[in-house]
Amino acid sequence: MFSFTQVFLVAVGYLLFLFLVAWITDRGKLPARLVRHPAVYVFSLGVYASAWAIYGSVGYAYHYGYNFLAYFLGISGVFMLAPILLAPILRLTSTHQLSSLADLFAFRYRSRVAGAMTTLMMLAGMLPLLALQIKAVAESIQILTGESDPGGLAFWFCLLITLFAILFGARHATAREKHEGLVVAIAMESLIKVVAFGLLAVLALYNVFDGPAGLNTWLTDNPDALARLYYPLQDGTWHSMILAFFVSAVVMPHMFHMAFSENLNPRALMTASWGLPLLLLVMALCIPVILWAAAAARVDGLPDYYALAVGSLSGGHGAMLAYIAGLAGASGMLIVATLALSSMTLNHLVLPARTRPLDERLYRWLLWARRLLIAGILTLAYVFYAIAGDHHTLTELAVLSFVATLQFVPGLIGALFWPGGNRVGLFAGLLTGFSLWVLALLVPMVVPHWQPSLLFDLLGISHQSTAHQWHHVAIASVVANGLIFALFSLLSPTSQAERSAADTCTVDSLRRPFRWELETETADDFIIALSEPLGPVTAEREVQLALRDLNQTRSESRPYALRRLRDQLETNLSGLLGPSVAQRIVDEHLPYKPQAEHESSEDIQFIESRLELYRDRMSGLAAELDSLRRFHRQTLLELPMGVISLGADGEIIGWNLAMEHLTGINAQRTIGARLNTLPRPWSTVFSEFAQGEALRQPQVEASWRGAIRWLSLHKSEVAGTLPGERAGGQVIVVEDITDLRALEAQLTHSERLASIGRLAAGVAHEIGNPVTAIACLAQNMEHPASEDEIIQAASQIMEQTRRISRIVESLVTFSHSGGVVAAVQGPVSLRDTVDEAISLLQMDPDHRQQRFINDCAADHLVRGDSQRLLQVFVNLLSNAADATDDNDPITVRSTAQDERLEVTVEDNGHGIAAELMNSLFEPFVTSKPAGRGTGLGLALVYSIIEDHFGSIRAESPVANGRGTRFVITLPGYW
Amino acid sequence: MYADRLLIIFIVGAYLLSPAIIEWWSDGGRAWYRPYMMWLLLIALCYWISRGRDDARRRGRS
Repeated sequence: MFSFTQVFLVAVGYLLFLFLVAWITDRGKLPARLVRHPAVYVFSLGVYASAWAIYGSVGYAYHYGYNFLAYFLGISGVFMLAPILLAPILRLTSTHQLSSLADLFAFRYRSRVAGAMTTLMMLAGMLPLLALQIKAVAESIQILTGESDPGGLAFWFCLLITLFAILFGARHATAREKHEGLVVAIAMESLIKVVAFGLLAVLALYNVFDGPAGLNTWLTDNPDALARLYYPLQDGTWHSMILAFFVSAVVMPHMFHMAFSENLNPRALMTASWGLPLLLLVMALCIPVILWAAAAARVDGLPDYYALAVGSLSGGHGAMLAYIAGLAGASGMLIVATLALSSMTLNHLVLPARTRPLDERLYRWLLWARRLLIAGILTLAYVFYAIAGDHHTLTELAVLSFVATLQFVPGLIGALFWPGGNRVGLFAGLLTGFSLWVLALLVPMVVPHWQPSLLFDLLGISHQSTAHQWHHVAIASVVANGLIFALFSLLSPTSQAERSAADTCTVDSLRRPFRWELETETADDFIIALSEPLGPVTAEREVQLALRDLNQTRSESRPYALRRLRDQLETNLSGLLGPSVAQRIVDEHLPYKPQAEHESSEDIQFIESRLELYRDRMSGLAAELDSLRRFHRQTLLELPMGVISLGADGEIIGWNLAMEHLTGINAQRTIGARLNTLPRPWSTVFSEFAQGEALRQPQVEASWRGAIRWLSLHKSEVAGTLPGERAGGQVIVVEDITDLRALEAQLTHSERLASIGRLAAGVAHEIGNPVTAIACLAQNMEHPASEDEIIQAASQIMEQTRRISRIVESLVTFSHSGGVVAAVQGPVSLRDTVDEAISLLQMDPDHRQQRFINDCAADHLVRGDSQRLLQVFVNLLSNAADATDDNDPITVRSTAQDERLEVTVEDNGHGIAAELMNSLFEPFVTSKPAGRGTGLGLALVYSIIEDHFGSIRAESPVANGRGTRFVITLPGYW
Repeated sequence: MYADRLLIIFIVGAYLLSPAIIEWWSDGGRAWYRPYMMWLLLIALCYWISRGRDDARRRGRS
């Protein structure tokens, strides 16, 4: 027997040791590798094994045999399936900073009432389990010391736990900060618990049985001991029990808190899939040994405290080991559960009810509110213990809590696997399940004479003891809960916001609702908007924090980036104030522009990021489809031509590597932006083209970084392919033709020189005639008949000389024009230019007989460069002459249209093949036989007309399947 | 997708096998540690799967 002071000092010393461990960790004295080691996470999850695992499970094994294993195997099963069941919850809670089940329900079902209801029910459901811990510690001290007042012991124990929870569990206002000290301290508690319990079993094995062989002999001699373990397996309760422990293990607030909210390393969850079952296996292995040792030694007292009694058989140290194991189990569970419940209460009951606006004192206020709530919840647990603790066994109290937490399971399954579940279904299911729990378990336990006969008959419970038939209540309540949840969800409408949250939460769902545009346009607007609910200091701090999380700058104005910023702010505020308040603040102060659902588009970036996240989880057809998607994406990304993909709302959703190279703008900076927000000149070039009607622009000039770049643009409309996606998106293909353009200029010059060569023969002939005439006149002048004849001959010689000069001048100017973009000059007479082009062409012997008709009005003048326009007509008339018989006329006609002049060059030749019509003005496109045409003539014509702010189009055939008409529009000179 | 399929297979499998397992367990006699052996086997399986995932992740990174 120990004195009260000794036992109390052990408790204080033990808790001080935990204080020290947590303090050292928080000070960073322990290496981060150790703190974040998966083993620490696994041991911290050992918080599940509370005082009930140490004391109550031995009592349970005494009454219900091997059924006690359900408590350990249930949670082991959940963790063995961690990659499927727990990883999605961890991903959700860490992505959206959800620190409790109430947060998750409020987020998923988009309802403050869901959060508040979950919190209230969880508080009510967990009080018996909290009271159990207090009772276990108080009664164990009572057994060890013989004190008569366990209530007083319980009070001091609660006070110590309150201090610890406040000091190390409520140091940060927001859930984004992890409590590393707390995690390490809880892990240490589990280690102590397992070692102490294990040592107790070993002591019992060797002191009572003289080792395993002795135990075997005793079991052979006492077959009843084994039979009592096996017998309860046959009564059919095993299935319902393992199901109850399987599903409720994760829902319990202390497990949810340690597994998800305090997870320091997501990969540690995989280690926990075998680590936690192993830890629990060791503990479960001790229980039959302790039970049999108690039976062999014929110890007295309650089976719940056999661990203490068996420990006492080995002397004081054995009893102290059992006491420390129980103390560790109780304190760890109390601390973590209280912290989790205080967060839930603050986020879902206190903050939503607060009417005063939040201001810069918010963080301090939150901390103190949380601390007060911790004290309040532990006070409630103490009160429950004082009222009901004395009259019930540890098992009865534990059962009460397990069945209560079981009621959240249909809602959780709906959140993860069924997007069709909605808040109406959740409310109806929870109310049904909890009503059954209250009527069939809680009230009969607190008020012993309360026995609702109708309900008991319905559930198949005998009227003697409901606590011993709890599995009937558990199964009946959870089945009714689930059915009502499904039924009401199917019969009631689901809001758009809830559908959106359901898609986000549902495992493997890739749907994301729509790209809506925010009313705020910059990050600074966010600060201004949030200053009203949060105060300017907090608003500034939270926006900066969100920008840092997203690696964005304050100047960000892309709609996509602003939507991400809004989501991140909601996430961060959710960690600070809970999802209900965060949703309200964000919805009210950062609203979307009013927009019909069909006017928005799917967020493809989001879908892609989700697919990347799920990559290693895909198999079979899904994996094949993903590989195919990656192949197409990579093809598009590495296409040597620039590709811009635009959503129906004008947002850029694709920007490949060639575009990055061409414009020098990274895809990360353009995705989600609009074309008109790009740096100049790209904003002008691309947005004008995207908004224009033309599907192609063969040559567009852009001045970038002091150099001229030439682009060829093509676009086509993309029909909406995703569900809900509206048509109206565009894909723009951008080809950089700067090098081609330079080559084209060189070749144009070469072609000009070549055409000079072709003209040379004609020129020689042209010049030959006047030279012959001059020679004849000069001969005549040697023997003049009269002075008049000399004057006439001289005049004719001068005329012939002028003719020669004109021919030479035309040739020189033709060979020098082009290649260099000349500034537009003016005025130029169309009629004279066409005449000059005709006379140049007629120097060519091939075209000498050709009929050219110049119907241009003498007063039709255009603003431009006469030599370059001459080139246009030479090329067009030359092409026409090549395609036409000599007798067929080639007509050039001009008409005035408002302030512009339209010039048509029309022939009656063989026309242009239909397949060439679309690419007629592109370089190297020709219908002439090889060696006859370079394919540059019409490209040059297009370029010159564009330089003159005009346009050109071709029509072929014109009539009777023959003929070609080029229509040129040029600004008139009036 | 495949996660759901695996879960359904597991639940149906566990449901179908559970009577046989319980019977085998109840017939244990003095081999009272049978459920623990089975439990240990499952832990070893989970450890093996977890190691496989880690290896695959490391290979993916390198």
